[in-house]
Amino acid sequence: MPDAHADADVHAPAEAATDPAAPHQRPAVQVRGLWKRYGEQIAVQGIDLELPAGQFIGLVGPNGAGKTTTLSMITGLLRPDSGTVEIGGHDVWQDPAEVKARIGVLPEGLRMFERLSGRELLAYTGRLRGLPGDEVDKRATQLLDVLDLAGAQNKLVVDYSTGMRKKIGLAAALLHNPEVLFLDEPFEGVDPVSAQTIRGVLERYTRSGATVVFSSHVMELVESLCDWVAVMARGKIRAQGALADVRGDAPSLQNAFLELVGAREQGSGDNLDWLGGGAR
Amino acid sequence: MPLSSPAVTKPWTPPGLVMLPLRPRPLISALLVSSLIGVGPLFTLTLVLGSLIAIAHGAAAAAAAVLAGVLAVLTCVALARAVATANTRLLSSRKGRDLALLSGLFVAIGVQFVNMGVQKLSGQGGLGVLRPAADILRWVPPASAIDAVQGVSEGAYGIAAAQFALSALVLALLMWWWSRSLTHLMTAPDGSTIQQEKPRKGADGAGPSAAERGPLGLLLPAGRTGTVMLRTLRYAVRDPKAKASWVSSLGVGLLMPFITSVQGNGSIYWSCWAAGMLGMQMYNQFGQDSSAFWMVAQTISSPRDAYLELRGRAFAVALVGVPYVLLAVVGSAAFLKKLPAVPEALGLAFGLLGALLATGAMASVLRPYSIPQDSSKNVAPGQGSLAWMSLLGGMIAGALLCAPLLGLTIWLHTSGMHSLLWVLLPLGIVYGAAIAETGLRLAAPRTVARLPEILAAVSKG
Repeated sequence: MPDAHADADVHAPAEAATDPAAPHQRPAVQVRGLWKRYGEQIAVQGIDLELPAGQFIGLVGPNGAGKTTTLSMITGLLRPDSGTVEIGGHDVWQDPAEVKARIGVLPEGLRMFERLSGRELLAYTGRLRGLPGDEVDKRATQLLDVLDLAGAQNKLVVDYSTGMRKKIGLAAALLHNPEVLFLDEPFEGVDPVSAQTIRGVLERYTRSGATVVFSSHVMELVESLCDWVAVMARGKIRAQGALADVRGDAPSLQNAFLELVGAREQGSGDNLDWLGGGAR
Repeated sequence: MPLSSPAVTKPWTPPGLVMLPLRPRPLISALLVSSLIGVGPLFTLTLVLGSLIAIAHGAAAAAAAVLAGVLAVLTCVALARAVATANTRLLSSRKGRDLALLSGLFVAIGVQFVNMGVQKLSGQGGLGVLRPAADILRWVPPASAIDAVQGVSEGAYGIAAAQFALSALVLALLMWWWSRSLTHLMTAPDGSTIQQEKPRKGADGAGPSAAERGPLGLLLPAGRTGTVMLRTLRYAVRDPKAKASWVSSLGVGLLMPFITSVQGNGSIYWSCWAAGMLGMQMYNQFGQDSSAFWMVAQTISSPRDAYLELRGRAFAVALVGVPYVLLAVVGSAAFLKKLPAVPEALGLAFGLLGALLATGAMASVLRPYSIPQDSSKNVAPGQGSLAWMSLLGGMIAGALLCAPLLGLTIWLHTSGMHSLLWVLLPLGIVYGAAIAETGLRLAAPRTVARLPEILAAVSKG
């Protein structure tokens, strides 16, 4: 569990991943030709992705880029129109038992069993995963402690704040010690204290060789956390690779991102010329 | 009642008033006067006016009636506002919203009792039953102000003065309570400002197993079956939608045989309603999870997982359903004095319960629909026909599945072999269990194959 040293070794996963002797040679996730349409609207347009194992991976893109749809299809929550997804070499749709045992998921916009207390939710999730009861209880206690939820463990999840919900969702996703963790906007609406707690847990988790894939549209966060990024816009992957490669010569990931997604500097011109100043 | 309707009380919530530049005393006076405007106060005034006209005889009584009318209407209005204000925090909290979702159910069941009461009072001399209550109510404000007018009409001025004084005192107390609640609400920080992190039982490091599973959990089987049962039963108690559904099933299941018996159309077969209503709990199982079904979907990888999930849910329904059906059938038979008919009725009821568990499992998989969590609706917009198809199709299929048992019952009755009717009890139990098991086994592989489609269908609310 994270401690005072948690922040001291942020770049360890990157070093591990570039080490040729590292145990994770196979990509953690391999996506080929993934498509999803909703009527006339194409949400995901034939994307290919190869996410390296043992790294902190950011899937970034503006709102509506298709990040949530992509993560839902990768984790088996949404059936793609076409394409394949492999996690740890196992096909998500052909071999669900192998895949589901290896992944943890924290989706955005889906509820949890919120009429259970935080502790009950973890006990329920762990037992559904087939873990022995005693082991579930032990892990739940530790996760609740580390995520600073011990004081609210008997409170119903429906009464939790957004940050607490994200943390209990993260605890539920980590409970069975997955190889790959998928988090959809894990820091959205989370206060700085909870964000730091989540961050500490995730950094410790990736240092052990596990993979974290998370979506976000907050570039500063991605830049400070990730070793590897994939940039999405309008249902397509615009770039993917090590953070430094994707950033290129741009001064920040934010600038590189704006260039990649084709966002122009919005000239204010004469619009809103009444706003501010003396005249009311 | 009309004064307490949400449409009347909503404009007067403290958050809306806190911005007004008014001191408490002028504010409460203004609120009292403005509360007299509207359909609710007009309705109350009409009732009070009718009562006063009926009992005011003479000039003195007419003058007293004016005072009584003002007192009675003001007391009703002040009571409605004071209660609404005192409960503002509750009504705007999660617990308040949960209660509001359940209130419709209590009204629906309460109406049945009111209906029976009205029928009783409408009979010859039925109102005489109310006389003892009237003797007490004439001293309860605001009725005491109205009864004072009758006292004045009859020359009992001392009693009338006491009744007026009582009404005035209660009005003053209500105004004080209302003013105090309002001032407190407008000046004290609410839950959004203060993080209430009260330590609760189990938070002090007590054994996690006991806290997690509770006494009920320890009685349930280990593994997925027990875990699913425990979660389902906890939701039946804690989730307002699930609770409303369970309470209405339990209530209607018992009320139907009881009401038909009271009305003289009683038959022991009406107790099968109990099995029917409880069996309906198995329908749209995944819709009851709403989008939280993703947590279940993430742990189902094989038909065996899906079977255990469905079996856990069916066992939870049966855990309540079996003793409940037993109670309904035996109770109904005792009420109708037809105890020898218990075995056949019980056999049919268990057969029906099993059939509905089976068809409910299939319908949950093939025709799932969303149950909106934050509204009083039970079906998401656009899924109404789906819900009806699921319920109606399932019920018809359930009835058809019971046809062999029904056929045997009719044949035994028509052929005069009444001594063999007991056979229906073991047959019904075995048949119900077998058909439920078959339904679960048929539904399991379909669940695995349709996980994303089920999640999409139940996530619309």
